[in-house]
Amino acid sequence: MSSHLHARLLAFALILLGMGIFLHKSVQNDYPIVPDQTRTIWNLEVYIEFAAGNRPVRVETYLPARSDVRDVVDEQFYSGPFGLRIVQEGVEGNRKAIWTYRYPDGPKVLRYRTTMMEENRSTPLPDSLQSEGRPADLPFQSNLQRQAFIVWISTIRRQSADNESLVELTLQEIFSPTLSDELAALIRPLPGSLGRLELARTVLESQGVPARIANGVYLDDARRRAEIVSWLEYRVDGRDRRYFPNGNPSKFFPIWYGLGEIVEAVGASEMSTQISLQPSRYAASTIARSQVDDGNFVLRMFSFDALPLTTQLVYRVLLTIPVGILLLVFLRQFIGLQTLGTFMPVLIGIAFRETALLTGLILFSILIALGLAMRFYLEKLKLLLVPRLAVVLIFIVLSMAAITILMSDGEQRIGLSISLFPMVILTMTIERMSIVWEEYSGSEAIKQGLGSLAVASITYLAMSNRYVEYLMFNFPELLLVIMGLCLLMGRYMGMRLSELRRFRELIGIKDEAEFPFKDKAE
Amino acid sequence: MILGNPFKLRRNGVMGLNERNLRLVAELNPRGLMRLVNDKTITKRLAIEAGIPNPELIGLVSNPYDMRRLDQMLERPNGVAIKPANGSQGNGIMIITGPMKGGYKLANGRRVVFEDVRFHVMNILSGMYSLGGLPDTALIEERVRFAGVFDEISFKGVPDVRIIVLKGVPILAMLRLPTADSDGKANLHKGGVGVGVDLVTGVTQLGMQYDQLVDFHPDTANELSGLQTPYWEDMLIMAAQAYDVTSLGFLGADIVIDVDKGPLLLELNGRPGIAIQIANRFGLRAHVEPVLAADTSKMDAKARIAFGKDIYRLIHEGQAAA
Repeated sequence: MSSHLHARLLAFALILLGMGIFLHKSVQNDYPIVPDQTRTIWNLEVYIEFAAGNRPVRVETYLPARSDVRDVVDEQFYSGPFGLRIVQEGVEGNRKAIWTYRYPDGPKVLRYRTTMMEENRSTPLPDSLQSEGRPADLPFQSNLQRQAFIVWISTIRRQSADNESLVELTLQEIFSPTLSDELAALIRPLPGSLGRLELARTVLESQGVPARIANGVYLDDARRRAEIVSWLEYRVDGRDRRYFPNGNPSKFFPIWYGLGEIVEAVGASEMSTQISLQPSRYAASTIARSQVDDGNFVLRMFSFDALPLTTQLVYRVLLTIPVGILLLVFLRQFIGLQTLGTFMPVLIGIAFRETALLTGLILFSILIALGLAMRFYLEKLKLLLVPRLAVVLIFIVLSMAAITILMSDGEQRIGLSISLFPMVILTMTIERMSIVWEEYSGSEAIKQGLGSLAVASITYLAMSNRYVEYLMFNFPELLLVIMGLCLLMGRYMGMRLSELRRFRELIGIKDEAEFPFKDKAE
Repeated sequence: MILGNPFKLRRNGVMGLNERNLRLVAELNPRGLMRLVNDKTITKRLAIEAGIPNPELIGLVSNPYDMRRLDQMLERPNGVAIKPANGSQGNGIMIITGPMKGGYKLANGRRVVFEDVRFHVMNILSGMYSLGGLPDTALIEERVRFAGVFDEISFKGVPDVRIIVLKGVPILAMLRLPTADSDGKANLHKGGVGVGVDLVTGVTQLGMQYDQLVDFHPDTANELSGLQTPYWEDMLIMAAQAYDVTSLGFLGADIVIDVDKGPLLLELNGRPGIAIQIANRFGLRAHVEPVLAADTSKMDAKARIAFGKDIYRLIHEGQAAA
């Protein structure tokens, strides 16, 4: 395999892998790709108050159901002396908290808290929503009811073209303010709209359309007392639908499914149940990261959350450096910029993080100028190379100290930001510049110095960009992409932009004079 | 015109640095062999063994002990050249043309005292001019006294001939002339003039300076073209032999002409520059492709030179006919 093909394959493999993980995280796990994206989280609290009269009490409450599209984390129970059991029931994923106590006395309070993400009409329904309808097995007591049902449904069937229109017609009929007699006979006496919902569910199931009754809350505002509402969730021709008989909410949260009551109690009196909702806004990345605990291997593997905070802060900076390097490679291989030292501009760019751009540029120029002056003076003393470098370095530290002291008096914060300015890099830069100065010319040295500063500024702007920092820290797999890009650039054989200028005279050679020195060669 | 059209440059076979690095340097010059040309002491030894003429070595200074003999080494009536063994692009080279009032006279006419020379050698030893700042050795060589052939088109200093040798085949050549800008050095980076040389005849063509085409020497105002390079066949043989002793597939051989000794191999370069394209006013690629495609391993130096000339003739006469 040629090295060219080899490098390309490796590069594409790296880029694919990196982008794959990146897309998996951002699309599959809803990991936001820009910083400061916030999402609303709702705090749901169920508050149950009752009086107990010294006899065994059993209180059952529905908890938010789990399913393959939803996970409930961060639950808290305030049980007091009560024993608590959590049971899971049915394919719907309904969960119940069962509090029990043998001899309670006086007023008692039980509380349940959780946080949850809002759902809306496009939230998918779980795969567990399957039709179990067997048209023969109708849940009606009397023959009369059954016959009424059959007559009614066959009319609807005749009037509809497909499942979708059948469902629409059914719901329209069942929830119309004026009910036909045969329909009225079919509705079970249940509170609120539950009777009609249950009939609709039965009809849909009997026609092979999976449906279920969801009970939950609408999320439109913070509420001290949220009302439990019920609606119908069904899947027709593979599309997830919801039908809300009461209101038209944009956001909601189903807690449990079926016909049960939210709280059922035995042995308690003066029951009062209160459901409160409180929205709070969080950085979306925080939420996504909290899901890391759920054992998502890909998320956990490429995440720094397990590290101590100080280490995380270091990586926040470290991970942006490859972006600067990528830029540098581009500027050198494609643009053809000349810099002092290979990676020196990137190191200066990192130093600018401490000082901010303008201050950094000023400081850098002052220190280089001072250092160069010192270096030229030392040239007269004829010192050996390493001691001379040492003297320049110490001089740089002295100059930095002087600047700090001078600047700390005023309003300027220049002096304080200097701390980590890399003096070794400065010293090497001064040495290189002075050699260029001697061997070529002062203007060449200044040109290269300015070029390095320009590259340093560009890389600094890229590395300190909020979006870059956020992306690299939260998606370190992008390093693979950067690596792949560098591999690709490593096999770039075309002209650099600077060479287009350098060889501009060679453009016309074929067009004007076929062979420029033909006459003289003969 | 600020920028050249990349498509036209490509069609004209102009090669960029990226392509040179990947296709020629990386492919043909194994890293382990680069030492042979990077270290001038090794190059010199190889050249002596193979009988390629080169400036006489007076001595090496590789530690402070050797330094004691430095003043003796400088005692040459014709002057000496002091070079860092691992220097690049002509950096760190000091040319002493002879003694001058208790000190030494440099090529650019300045007078220096022994202490200045000692300091320069010390800087070389501590690695100021070597790649990565590694400790280095200083070579003290007999100064080449340039034969006056190109005096008309030189300004001080020593002109040299650069021949590009690909897989042992000389493919392009140029004459590098010092100018006032280049401070007596024939280095194109420093403002020297590059003049294309007809590979077949050794006659100079038109030139370039600072990447611009020039037809006259900027300091002497004499026409660059039409001069015959003496010892041309000898130079081609020296360049072709350089491949035999180094096995480097992409070489730049720098040759100077001494007034007494004739052509001398000054140094070899494993990463020869691509400005030679401008000097020759022709892209490298046309010259490179036929050699890359051919098998030169069975040819001796003479056969390779003939091959190189054939290619040159074919390309340039084909151009003329077109």
